[in-house]
Amino acid sequence: MFTRHVHDVLPRYCDGELSAGERQGVDAHLATCARCRASLEEIQFSANVVRQLKVISAPPSVWNGIDAALSAPTRHRSLAFAPRWAFACIAVLVVAGAAYWVTRDMGPKPWEVSRVNDGGTRRMAAGEWVDTGGGSTARIIVGELGTVDVAPQTRVRLGQVSQSEYRLHLDRGTISAEINAPPRLFIVDTPASAVVDLGCAYTVTVGGDGAGELRMTKGWSSLEWKGRESLVPAGAMCRTRPGSGPGTPYFEDASAALKRAVDDFDAGTNRSQALDVIVREARVRDTLTLWHLLSRVDEPDRMRVYERIAEFEPPPAGATRDQILALDADALRRWREELAWKW
Amino acid sequence: MNGAGREISPDILDACRRGDREAFRALYEAYKDRVYSIAFYFFHANADAASEVTQQVFLKLMREIGRFRGDAAFSTWLYRLVVNACVDRSRGRRVDVVGEDPATLDTLAASTALSHEELFARREVATSVQQAIATLPPKLRAAILLRYFDDLSYSEMAAALRCSIGTVASRLSRGHRLLAKKLAPVRMALKGGE
Repeated sequence: MFTRHVHDVLPRYCDGELSAGERQGVDAHLATCARCRASLEEIQFSANVVRQLKVISAPPSVWNGIDAALSAPTRHRSLAFAPRWAFACIAVLVVAGAAYWVTRDMGPKPWEVSRVNDGGTRRMAAGEWVDTGGGSTARIIVGELGTVDVAPQTRVRLGQVSQSEYRLHLDRGTISAEINAPPRLFIVDTPASAVVDLGCAYTVTVGGDGAGELRMTKGWSSLEWKGRESLVPAGAMCRTRPGSGPGTPYFEDASAALKRAVDDFDAGTNRSQALDVIVREARVRDTLTLWHLLSRVDEPDRMRVYERIAEFEPPPAGATRDQILALDADALRRWREELAWKW
Repeated sequence: MNGAGREISPDILDACRRGDREAFRALYEAYKDRVYSIAFYFFHANADAASEVTQQVFLKLMREIGRFRGDAAFSTWLYRLVVNACVDRSRGRRVDVVGEDPATLDTLAASTALSHEELFARREVATSVQQAIATLPPKLRAAILLRYFDDLSYSEMAAALRCSIGTVASRLSRGHRLLAKKLAPVRMALKGGE
């Protein structure tokens, strides 16, 4: 049973998104807590009223505006009978449409870089360097995908731009990216790993020795190197080292002992003792760390890690203990998707 | 429309990537009403705002679709574009709320024995629900609409809103609390009918 109030869990309770065990815990709490029962009633009421909203058909003028924008360079239209607002709307869209056709013909938008000290923005080509060694800062505009802020004392090389990829190479220093694009379109290469955007905001730092740190503030990214991959959600961080690639991710609010132990484990220092600490210190949220360790420890230790994760959340239907211990990719993915609820 | 039913055929997406206008029209037809409706309720039944957002979303979608490689569900990406367009448009703008006079709603609480159907059929109730949604903070508004109007799962919402599932649950919880408070007279009328 939950001993604290369960307000934040109640939407998932109402929507049938809790496990059987969690549901029983909420049921037991609700039986004794009038305040949470009142919250439950509020949720049921407001969910019900929103569900009463009806789907509204988009009026034909919406498509007409889109069509006009897409056809603007080649088609002449009479707007004499269009309503005034539609005229204004189409006028704006004609400009947007023209821009679309221009950019479509020219391919993806090139890199644009603005330096805070200069105040201006200029286009830069693949292969050029952005160097803020003098203590200045810069902003790189990544086509229409988002922006990358470059901190002082940072060297970044602009990579090739194509319809399917924007790529930066971070030599040293710190960049903060805010990207709004389909996954895997924006990639930052560092000396030790590639940071692959899965729809997110993050900061990545590379030191003089090529080692790096990725800290996620929104969404997800993956660190990838020679087939080794670490998934890093918002609130978590992951280190990466030349020659060994991405380390094991952990949440920044994990205990100091766990974080130290993960660093020791990744560095190969007293790995067995480090694993003892990680298993002992892990909270439910730290199954992020434990899940990554499953494929990074030898068989006897894998059983320990498996059992610790299973204490928090047993594998879902379709993923058996034997499959997971054998590192079956599909079973591992299924379990990860279930565990991600807690991350 | 839920789960697989929300996804459009890969063939249409492929044709859109090749610049096929007919395919794009098919894609537009499949999603236009969902996109328009979310924007419509996001901006308190403002048809101009809904039209503008819908146009923006589909133009951006057509511009970017060549880069969509199918690593994530198409609908997740589409909903992300919708939420971004709505939140961007709402930045720095006052929401023009022209809902019912609270006094009118208060009379509901005094009226007796209204069923769900009778209650929601009343124009002032529908308007007050739209008003209550439109005055939620944008992030809570987006979460409530995606979950209960569009029936997205928590993991789909987390991907579309770019946050954790825990944050989704927390936003829903806060949204529910505010909605229930704003719609207290409707709630009382409903209780009277039960």
